Amino acid sequence: MSKLLRAPDEAAALELLHEFECTDGLPVVIPTDERVQRMVLASGMDADLVLGAMGPAQGVATVEKVAVSAVMAGCLPDYMPVVMGAVKAVLHPAFDLAEMQGTTHCTAPLIIVNGPARQDCGPIAGGFGALGPGHRANAAIGRALRLAMINIGGARPGVSDMALLGHPGKFTYCLAEDEEHSPFAPLHTARGFALEDSVVTVVGAEAPHSVLHAIDADDPEDHLRLLEVLAIGLTNLATNNALIRNGAGVVVLNPDHAQVFADAGMDRQAVVEKLCELCRHSRADIETYGRSFMSWSKGDDWFPCFYDPEQILLLTAGGNGLYSMVMPTWCAGEHNNPAVSVALEVDQFCEIPGSDSAPA
Amino acid sequence: MARRGVPAVALVTEEFWSQGDFVARSLGMPDLPRIRLPHPVAGTGKANMRKVAEAIAPRVLAALAPGA
Repeated sequence: MSKLLRAPDEAAALELLHEFECTDGLPVVIPTDERVQRMVLASGMDADLVLGAMGPAQGVATVEKVAVSAVMAGCLPDYMPVVMGAVKAVLHPAFDLAEMQGTTHCTAPLIIVNGPARQDCGPIAGGFGALGPGHRANAAIGRALRLAMINIGGARPGVSDMALLGHPGKFTYCLAEDEEHSPFAPLHTARGFALEDSVVTVVGAEAPHSVLHAIDADDPEDHLRLLEVLAIGLTNLATNNALIRNGAGVVVLNPDHAQVFADAGMDRQAVVEKLCELCRHSRADIETYGRSFMSWSKGDDWFPCFYDPEQILLLTAGGNGLYSMVMPTWCAGEHNNPAVSVALEVDQFCEIPGSDSAPA
Repeated sequence: MARRGVPAVALVTEEFWSQGDFVARSLGMPDLPRIRLPHPVAGTGKANMRKVAEAIAPRVLAALAPGA
């Protein structure tokens, strides 16, 4: 059972939560016992069920503690399966959460949702402005994970979260793949899940970097140029992906750009394999710009940024137009902070009467 | 390493001292030996790093072999 704070009213409770550094700096929904229990009920699991220890504080993440974060973040009970999945994913030992929370690098868990949960637990946006404001589920789910990382994991800026500057995705960073407008099989099927599964994939990622490409249907090599600019953006010589290497990378294609590859006869696998080939740097460049990291890597005349095409997460999302997005990553930690995917156990979750309204 | 009984000492720069305290407490090893270094050390040049190393070497040895 979580410790209860007492306050004369919600405004005073909010000030207490700010004072105890339990917020992300923005107002939160006060996690009253009734609201938290309602969220626990939505999970279909026991409040005391332990999901794992969350670093760097090694706080014990129970269903109830996660529910507290979900309430504070403004989640509807419907969102709980995705929040639970995201928490489970970052708690996977391979994710290197404690190290990631403590690093000086600017990294935040990007939550990618595939499958029916995009609608059933949302709707979670994957179209225009999916990473921007205005999408309640995206905003609240990503924020719930962040609040869990603050309050269970103990991340406090300058003390245990040593990000030198951070980035706005550390408030919330969640989107769905736009499977309906993608010419490719969905991301989760490439990661070994069935098409009908609902899957959360979490990857520690920098802020999104825009990649501009104006499509030229008269150019038979248009897809090659698009591949090249994506590779330049994803692993430019200032990134950890270039200098530390062997970590994850994220490419978010807008539907138009995805179609360029499909029209060229490339499927998801072909695109990531080609990107994997293109994302490399010469020994001379690495010696010039990353001498400190030379011993961390393998390579003779060329240093590959990715050691396996599967390290590149490729998904389709966003509106149609000129811009796709890439997110370089941290690439460090014991396991190089890889992406982790978790199938949602949607059968266990309970529909709460009236849960389409704001928390009571 | 310390948990396995291997003598260990953490070298922590001034800027990261509070993080070192936090992690040591979180891992249940609040008394893990730590030595405070100036910040920064990395990238300050071989001459400075040698100076820092010479200054802390006795304390590192003392921490690794207490009572020796």
